Amino acid sequence: MKNYDAVVIGAGNGGLAATIRLLQGGARVLLVEKHNLPGGFATSFKRGRFEFEASLHELNDFGTKENAGDVRDLFDQLGVTDKIEWLQIPDAYRVISREEKIDALMPFGIEAFIAQMEKYVPGSRLSMEKFFSLAETIRSAQAYTSSVNGKADPKIMLSRYGNFVRCGSYSVNEVLKSLKMPKRARDILNAYWCYLGAHCDDLSFTHYASMVIRYITRGAAMPKSRSHEISLAFVERIRELGGDILFNTEAVKILTDAEDGGVGGVILDDGTEIKTRHVIANCAPHLVYGKMMDRVPPEVVKATNARKFAGRGYSLFLGLDKSPDELGIENHNYFLYDTMDSVKQYDLMKSIRTNDVQATVCLNRAYPECSPEGTTMMYFTTLYMEDDWANVKPEDYFKTKEFTAERMIRRFEEDLNTNLRDHIEEISIATPMTYARYCGHPQGTIYGYESQYWDGLTPRLQMMDEDHRIRGLRFAGGYSMRLSGYSSAYFSGDISGRQTVGDIKREG
Amino acid sequence: MEFQFKRQIFGFMDLLRFKNMVKVRRKHLAAGSDRALPASYKVNETAKILHPGYMNASLVRVEQNSADTKTYILETEQPFYFRAGQYATLGCRIGDSEVARPYAISSAPREALNKTVAFTVKKCGFFSGYLFDNAKAGDRFVVGDPSGTFHYEGIKDSRRVTALAGGSGITPFYSMAQAVADGTEDFELTILYGAKTEADLVFKAELDTLKSPKIKVVYVLSDETKEGYEHGFLSADLIRKYISGDFTVMMCGPEAMYAFLDKELLAFNLPPRRIKKEANCIGNRDVKDAVFNLTVHIGDKEFTIPASANETVLTSMERAGLNVPSKCRAGGCGFCHSKLINGQFTIGGSDKRRLADSKFGYIHPCCTYPDSDMSIIVPKA
Ligand SMILES: Cc1cc2nc3c(=O)[nH]c(=O)nc-3n(C[C@H](O)[C@H](O)[C@H](O)COP(=O)(O)OP(=O)(O)OC[C@H]3O[C@@H](n4cnc5c(N)ncnc54)[C@H](O)[C@@H]3O)c2cc1C
Ligand code: FES
Repeated sequence: MKNYDAVVIGAGNGGLAATIRLLQGGARVLLVEKHNLPGGFATSFKRGRFEFEASLHELNDFGTKENAGDVRDLFDQLGVTDKIEWLQIPDAYRVISREEKIDALMPFGIEAFIAQMEKYVPGSRLSMEKFFSLAETIRSAQAYTSSVNGKADPKIMLSRYGNFVRCGSYSVNEVLKSLKMPKRARDILNAYWCYLGAHCDDLSFTHYASMVIRYITRGAAMPKSRSHEISLAFVERIRELGGDILFNTEAVKILTDAEDGGVGGVILDDGTEIKTRHVIANCAPHLVYGKMMDRVPPEVVKATNARKFAGRGYSLFLGLDKSPDELGIENHNYFLYDTMDSVKQYDLMKSIRTNDVQATVCLNRAYPECSPEGTTMMYFTTLYMEDDWANVKPEDYFKTKEFTAERMIRRFEEDLNTNLRDHIEEISIATPMTYARYCGHPQGTIYGYESQYWDGLTPRLQMMDEDHRIRGLRFAGGYSMRLSGYSSAYFSGDISGRQTVGDIKREG
Repeated sequence: MEFQFKRQIFGFMDLLRFKNMVKVRRKHLAAGSDRALPASYKVNETAKILHPGYMNASLVRVEQNSADTKTYILETEQPFYFRAGQYATLGCRIGDSEVARPYAISSAPREALNKTVAFTVKKCGFFSGYLFDNAKAGDRFVVGDPSGTFHYEGIKDSRRVTALAGGSGITPFYSMAQAVADGTEDFELTILYGAKTEADLVFKAELDTLKSPKIKVVYVLSDETKEGYEHGFLSADLIRKYISGDFTVMMCGPEAMYAFLDKELLAFNLPPRRIKKEANCIGNRDVKDAVFNLTVHIGDKEFTIPASANETVLTSMERAGLNVPSKCRAGGCGFCHSKLINGQFTIGGSDKRRLADSKFGYIHPCCTYPDSDMSIIVPKA
């Protein structure tokens, strides 16, 4: 029987980062991935003359050599930064909302951002300055917390990061109202909410602010050859470090040790049994406890049942046979909303017939050469907040898929006053069914567990130790302690990888 | 610029709330239901019908369509669904190896929901020849995931589709015609179907019985002149005779037909988005033969096998009895994605790899010919 110090299940962003960390810690590691490619959502696909990015709109917290973000620092430590060619995204975002008649283009850089906001919303400056001051404290507090592996000293927290503690239990809307931020400024500032997928009455302020400040101070980055380049760079590094990888290989069971109920091994889809005392699962606890493990402690079942799935994904990819200039598409990324009342908007996002939200990217505006001259590449993404796609029968599937795509195209054309429809050379559509199949996530969820008020970033980090309930089993990726998104998934892999190295060392 | 954030009238309340966050979360987690976690989810179940992966299937019936073509009707282990025009692999065990080839599905999508699927295959090549000579009712097969984008795309395609079919290239269009006739698909389908002689036409009787104002079939015979048939090759003149205005061309047939039609279509000045072609499997290449050593790593196993310069790396591996992944065999689907450790190679057809694949040295063995000894890492099938 083959024996490894650790098995990583799933080569998504979290699994890839965890594998490198384990190898760097001297462990013998097997990484298994059920797909034939690494990356999970972090991949690309070709259609005719276009190579589409499968998911990444922009990589947060990466920055440049001179202004490095935490993700770049992590990539440096993992030894992958220089294997990848990077691009910078030009502007932060353009947000358009029908109800409030908002059309705002926001730049990167705190000063520029505040100045632009003041232009759109005179009188917003003071509250915006306070927002960034809070956000800065939150970022420092989080850096401190990670540096002590989640075991923050309450006295230090209060003395150095008092504002973090003071605002730490509130939602985005609660804090912004306390800062007396004018409504329109709040509306423009909240544009990123759909990236985190919980509405602003529920979404933890610290989580949101920490994401925004990372975008605004460090800009956003993109690998030239789509996220597939990052994923292959990780694989390259894993091979350099002597890790074993099996693609087209699903882990079907995690065996438990009869004595302590902890991890004893892993069974692969071809029946191979791997002996190991450590597993890092880059998939949903729902799947691990629902079908991969036989003896699951009752408190683990309860804790897992208590959690709520975040948005189910839908994406439309278009290769167009005119240039962005000819089409009149000026910007890199757009958020289109019906309303900036995120509670109301969240509700509309529950059903196929009422969801008109989109986060849309024109990659040529960050990287003109991403598609052949005279063409444009765009991708449109939305989230469904309930399982309406579960009501779609197989025989209605293709029509529903096109109905939704049709609707997205129309919305973009109307809001941006452009014509895409007559220039579509390639089209591809991914639905919750696609995501369910591709990465195996329950109901086609692409954002892990929702960042609900009680299950937000801060309490998850504080309870990291407590959430680790089964010996030898840790999680990485969108469902774990850092929540979802590329950066978060890499960080969770980093954390779980390092913790597992510690576990292995302790066992001796 | 440091200000002190305060929300409650008494600042300590803010602190208290923060302190309570862990308690609150603990309480929520403990209050979760104690019923067993679901073993499956509705969306994932539907996904399993839309993307069934490999399915076991048994051959129910074989029908002979013409002297060299037969239709194999199979029952799959589960219902599934696909888009008319898509292909799937059909495979089985021959001797010691698993062999599979991609074929357009010739039956209607609707029937797949009742676990019925058909492939119409012309006798030629290794697997197709094997089927023709050996396959009989009751035989066990494996049917792969329905794949490919050679189907009607309502948002981008013109509602008027001109199908140009050469020989066995009729199969995806026969599926589409059935789907249009039964209401699954909604577009106007004009099929220009070229064959050598009347006897070579497969599905003529079936196509003629499909009664739908949206379907028109024109039979074009190259080697025979006959009443009721067009004579010659598929051409610009023929297209003009039957179609006008805006239309989407879909072609399925041999490479020689594509080369000829590409020139004919110039007359219409169609943008690339109006022309869709089904890709053909990459065959042998014509170079002076040489035999190289191909080292293949699959999991922790290593094999060294002979590889002919004329054949693709995939074919050499299959010839050696290695069970390796393949789907389209045309370089496009990426399913055979493998890592090159060393060696020189040539790609057959255009390079359809992703950018980062070329950068990090990955190849698609189905369209790669060896130019030297090679060493590669291949995932298990
Ligand atoms: C359309 C779209 C747009 C997005 N845009 C952005 C963006 O702009 N910025 C951003 O930061 N984030 C974005 N995200 C979110 C981001 O992609 C995810 O948060 C991140 O990729 C999650 O990484 P993960 O580690 O959870 O792995 P996943 O990508 O979920 O991968 C998990 C992997 O595990 C494998 N696996 C699962 N079970 C098993 C098993 N039993 N055995 C073997 N293998 C298994 C799966 O096949 C998969 O490869 C987007 C997501 C989508 C879908
Ligand atoms: S089998 Fe499709 S690319 Fe090789």
